[in-house]
Amino acid sequence: MATQAESSKSFFSSPSTETPIIKLEGITKRFPGVIALDNINLEIHRGKVHALLGENGAGKSTLVKILYGIYTPDGGRIYIDGRPVKIAGPMDAIRLGIVMVSQSPVIIDRLTVEENIVLGLEKLNMFAPIRRIREKINEVSKTVGVKIDPSTEVWKLSYTQKQLVEIVRGLLLGARVLLLDEAITYLPLEEKKKFYKFIRQFADEGGTVILITHKIPEAMDVADLITVLRRGRVVGTVPVKGTSIEEIRKMMFGEKSSEITYERLPLGSPSETILEINDLWVRGDFGDYAVKGANLKVRRGEVVGIAGVAGNGQKELIQAVMRLRPVEKGKIIYDNIDITNKTTHYLRLNGVGYIPDLPAKYGVSIENNILENIAIIPTFSKEIINWKHIKSLAYKLIREFEIKTPSPETPVKFLSGGNIMKVLVSRELTAATKLLVAYNPTRALDEATAIRVRKIIKSKVINENVAALIASEDLDEIFQISDTIVVMNSGKIVGVFPADKAKREEVEHLMVM
Amino acid sequence: MIEAIIALLAGMSSVFLAYYLAALGHAIVEKSGILNLAIDGIFVLSIAVAYAEAVYTNNNILASLLLTAIVAALFGILLAFLVTKFPISHGAAGLSMMFLGYGLASLVGLPARNLQGSIKGLEIGYTIDINNPVWIAVYIIIILIGLGALFFINKTKIGAAIRAAGEDPAAAEALGVNVLMVRLFAGALGFALIGLGGAVFELAYVQVWSEGTGMGHGWLAFAISLSAGRHPLLLILSSSVFAGLVKYMTTIQAMYNIPTDLAKMLPFVAAILAMVIFMATPLRRRLAPPKSLGKIYFREERTV
Ligand SMILES: Nc1ncnc2c1ncn2[C@@H]1O[C@H](COP(=O)(O)OP(=O)(O)OP(=O)(O)O)[C@@H](O)[C@H]1O
Ligand SMILES: [Mg+2]
Repeated sequence: MATQAESSKSFFSSPSTETPIIKLEGITKRFPGVIALDNINLEIHRGKVHALLGENGAGKSTLVKILYGIYTPDGGRIYIDGRPVKIAGPMDAIRLGIVMVSQSPVIIDRLTVEENIVLGLEKLNMFAPIRRIREKINEVSKTVGVKIDPSTEVWKLSYTQKQLVEIVRGLLLGARVLLLDEAITYLPLEEKKKFYKFIRQFADEGGTVILITHKIPEAMDVADLITVLRRGRVVGTVPVKGTSIEEIRKMMFGEKSSEITYERLPLGSPSETILEINDLWVRGDFGDYAVKGANLKVRRGEVVGIAGVAGNGQKELIQAVMRLRPVEKGKIIYDNIDITNKTTHYLRLNGVGYIPDLPAKYGVSIENNILENIAIIPTFSKEIINWKHIKSLAYKLIREFEIKTPSPETPVKFLSGGNIMKVLVSRELTAATKLLVAYNPTRALDEATAIRVRKIIKSKVINENVAALIASEDLDEIFQISDTIVVMNSGKIVGVFPADKAKREEVEHLMVM
Repeated sequence: MIEAIIALLAGMSSVFLAYYLAALGHAIVEKSGILNLAIDGIFVLSIAVAYAEAVYTNNNILASLLLTAIVAALFGILLAFLVTKFPISHGAAGLSMMFLGYGLASLVGLPARNLQGSIKGLEIGYTIDINNPVWIAVYIIIILIGLGALFFINKTKIGAAIRAAGEDPAAAEALGVNVLMVRLFAGALGFALIGLGGAVFELAYVQVWSEGTGMGHGWLAFAISLSAGRHPLLLILSSSVFAGLVKYMTTIQAMYNIPTDLAKMLPFVAAILAMVIFMATPLRRRLAPPKSLGKIYFREERTV
């Protein structure tokens, strides 16, 4: 606390003379088969939002996990407020005022909000009743702008609410440093904006934020400084003022950065209809209708992009098409057959690839290795698995998508977030011989990879006459990849545009109308 | 009629308490994520320890209870340490400990029995029956323990930490739980209760000892805990059913003329029925097993 007071006094002195709140010296971390971090030197200053960027597998998550005590570095030193520290576990980090929030909520579903929060609260003795902190939670929630009953069990909350609970928890634990590892990647746009405002305010009041994201423009909007990591090393640290997106991209991707473009990809030439949705009604998780009479057509050789703010029925629509959610009313026709009463298995056997929401949860089995995660799909194996065939396919995908993994036999859980996504996406693109159904197919991917994936999808659509139905919260993505843009709002299709006639303002307007 | 029921209740009070303590202990251990296959071995060992200590101390019941609880707690700590600190299969660790328990039970019990045989008139145990009003206290104690355990598990921070460790130890660690410490604690507390259960079983119910005394009854406690979804109050219900079935098995058998083998299966059929009933009700979510029960816990693993 004393050091904090000093720092506000020395507000006008140049930042280089001020003791950094966090200083890393020669931090190194190896995992079997990879060097995740190689001699990292880095200073983080108080009152700053410091963005940490880099391609998939660069070592960003590993770095913040070391700061949060989840991983122990193999070498190097960490200084907090100029003093050397050992962070042996999250409890140590929390004591130092460091709290992490990651992209998949690390809270326990079967516990209540207050129970989750209380676990890290040292002030409360082990045997104390939990309800004592209820007041406190309500108070802090208000500053972040959330309304959540502390006695609700977490499984009842939406994804956004869970992330907000984590922030409330961080503040309640007295965080001085927030580590945000793609914490906002999955948040809907509106929430994201609110959140960035909160982050800025937190930093302006003397807090420190380390922000990991793949959205470079967002980082440039909210951050003061950007550090780029590449293959486990620091490429450089630059102040946001006085750099450009191009420069950052070059630091992140080197040569490849020239391939990054948000121009619309070439249009396909749609032929016969392969998927038709007629007056579809589907219920959401809580029993009320999430899709309310949607009509939709997807043709071969066409990408239909569903634009919409998260939570307007896109997820349920996609799940109903994949036969993962019951249809209350209406019809789904795929390849001239009514599939309303068919199974996912049937679709799998008939050339449909599927990229679901929350890939690590619903898309891959993280305990199993890459080979097993490929072999499990009926498209690739019958009753008896041909491992030789699977293996050669795995090597092909690893090469094509530059999946960073020690081997195809590595359990998926050891891969970085983006590389897990690559395993899923590459598998499903191969499986989709007639139709690809996807929900946010490129999130968690770095910019260069995301654009490559879009290009691959588009080339399949054009050259192999495949159809694609893609829902995405990322409007750039929708505009880049679609042949037809469909806007979804409150469970209804509220607009259909050919991509070359669609106007961004109009689509945005329909999304929030 | 009422008198008959009272006699029934009084008669089964000691087995009831024994099962309840053991099943509750087991539930606490498993809530923390440790799959406890050592239970039968440690139950049998506890019986032997309680017996031996009673013999050596000239039937000092308190000393016997205390020592048994401590010995069992030490095994709980060992099991918790092994499966949390090292990536060892819970099944392998538990079953090895079960056989260790059986072996040690003989080692501890036999000399004590020889000694008891050489001392004329040394009887051990404390009889709780219709003639001893303590049986009423037993029922009250069970209810109090049940309420206390419910509060402890659901309303205190350590209770939340135990559940967190059982649901998702990696996430619990990230939330600020010291999973190792919490599991050591749950292991110690849970096994102390299992030990007490064994001691009550021996001192208040069996009151003699021979090799193998109590074998299988640890598994019964396991089934009781499972069938009640590890819930402290439902445990009261299921242990009373099991206690009644075990205590009055022979009577029921004679009354309805059921073959012995079939009668022995009764408690387990009851356990399966109870489980099915719970799972068909909204209790399902509350009573679901801890998500990481029996899962090997590596500390440095998950990315994403
Ligand atoms: N627990 C682990 N076991 C084995 N390897 C790991 C582990 N954690 C990370 N790695 C490896 O370390 C490297 C860096 O991973 P990290 O998760 O830090 O990347 P990242 O920069 O966060 O990438 P992304 O943008 O994809 O999330 C990767 O090659 C990854 O496979
Ligand atoms: Mg990451």
